[in-house]
Amino acid sequence: MPPEPLLEATGIVKAFGSFRAVDGAGLTVREGEIVGLIGPNGAGKSTFFNCLAGDTQPTAGLIRFAGQEVTRAPADAHARAGMARSFQVPVTFEDMTVLENVMVGAFLRHPHRRDARERAREMLEVTGLARQAEARAGGLGTPGRKRLEIARALATEPRLLLLDEALAGLNPTEVRDAIGFVRGLHARGITLIVVEHIMEVILSLAERAVVFNQGKVIAEGVPRAVVDDPAVVEAYIGRSLAGRRLRRRRNPP
Amino acid sequence: MRIGLGVAAVVLLLAAPAAVGDPFIQRVAALVLLTAISASAWNLIGGYAGQVSIGHAVFFGAGAYASLLVFKLFAWPPIAGAPFGIAVSLVLALLIGVPTFRLRGHYFSMATIAVAELIRIVVGNWPLLGAAVGLMGPAVPRGLADLSFLSPLPYFYIFAAVEAALLWVTWAMARSRTGYYLRAVRAGERAALSLGVPVLRYKLVALLLSAGFTALAGSLYAVMVGYVDPESVLGILVSVQMVIVAALGGAGTLFGPVLGAVILVPVQQATNAAFGGSGSGLTYIVYGAIILAIARFRPGGLLELLHWRPRRAA
Repeated sequence: MPPEPLLEATGIVKAFGSFRAVDGAGLTVREGEIVGLIGPNGAGKSTFFNCLAGDTQPTAGLIRFAGQEVTRAPADAHARAGMARSFQVPVTFEDMTVLENVMVGAFLRHPHRRDARERAREMLEVTGLARQAEARAGGLGTPGRKRLEIARALATEPRLLLLDEALAGLNPTEVRDAIGFVRGLHARGITLIVVEHIMEVILSLAERAVVFNQGKVIAEGVPRAVVDDPAVVEAYIGRSLAGRRLRRRRNPP
Repeated sequence: MRIGLGVAAVVLLLAAPAAVGDPFIQRVAALVLLTAISASAWNLIGGYAGQVSIGHAVFFGAGAYASLLVFKLFAWPPIAGAPFGIAVSLVLALLIGVPTFRLRGHYFSMATIAVAELIRIVVGNWPLLGAAVGLMGPAVPRGLADLSFLSPLPYFYIFAAVEAALLWVTWAMARSRTGYYLRAVRAGERAALSLGVPVLRYKLVALLLSAGFTALAGSLYAVMVGYVDPESVLGILVSVQMVIVAALGGAGTLFGPVLGAVILVPVQQATNAAFGGSGSGLTYIVYGAIILAIARFRPGGLLELLHWRPRRAA
């Protein structure tokens, strides 16, 4: 019998009034995987992601993480259970130093200040922020803030890390660096769920891609295969264009 | 070297009122410390945790009324009422905090104003608490336990000891996990939650600590002044003063409330002396001007000025 998956979400529904942002979506993640969550704007992937993180409670469905049911547990309980996340728009504790920001995360497993600080310093080394440790976090630019977010999340010593468009807003060089960095995290034994707009990122990072559209999972599988799935192409660029694109593929100019 | 200078400065400041010998100045110095105590207590929740209460008078009033009520009912020394005042404050803090801290935004601030005003009106109509007239302390001191002195000097030293204890508690808290968590809550609740911070619990801890010390400040006020009425200990001006004093010096900093009190209280006393009466009308104008000035020029308070220097190259 295969081991129980690390995360198992089934039949997740999140309704705002009569609108169902997530409409019966599910996801299973095994320990050690990198799963990419993709889909056009408004597909419901961020809402689904927020349900997984406990930031918002699903209207219906079931979420099990690390052997516990966490469907309606608040976000801090998810963190204690071993789930960490980044935010699409980084939420930096601006008036604290970079080190202090990461210490807030480290305090979860290390209640004493000295231990938390030591742990936080290690995370700054890992994320390449060690030189800015004593700087005010509010002074960091976007790439720095994104790294800080990840350093802070890692300091909680998660088994599963949820990255919400962690690479958006970075330039191509920064994106390449970030991809290498995320691979490094995976090599450390952390399971990852990556929500991403940039297809290149999903293609080069994820072992498995899950495609959202209109609140539902419309395709799932190896990223290369998934992006050629007609249903996915249609969801992204519409039926007529999709037809043209497929034709062009068959008869290259 | 720096520690030596600090100790010398504190000793000098503590000895100064005794050396001056002018009772008016001694009284102002005692009031500065009393104001610093209540503002430092407010600072725990309003500064460090960033949950701005504009109704802390309710805790101050609980301490003040409890002190003179135990005298009225049982002829106990007023300071014996302090534990009751603190207990009532803690219950009120839970009643305000538990429902409003679940919500994000300004609900907590609004609830504190509402509860404080409600309690002021109830107390003003409650004969047991002297209704609108208020309560009196012992007319003549019956012994040392009444803590009733002609000279303001003993109050100055009592208040100094309490403020020192409160600053120590604040300092220890700020260095601990609790302090880091509270600053994270202030900076971004959602992010704090995602890092495993039980936000509601930490906000409540800060509020309870704050309410308890504010009640103690109220008891000390009643012991010194020997008289309380709804306006002087439960009025909104009492709440606003704590906010202004802490914000002026620097909310969320250890010594900000002390600095704010050192500046504001003498100004208040001077305007009262110069314009007569309780001066409450003018006090409002001064507060308004200070709010505008802080908002416009120094949102971090005056203490920020000390840290506001060009960064030296490492």
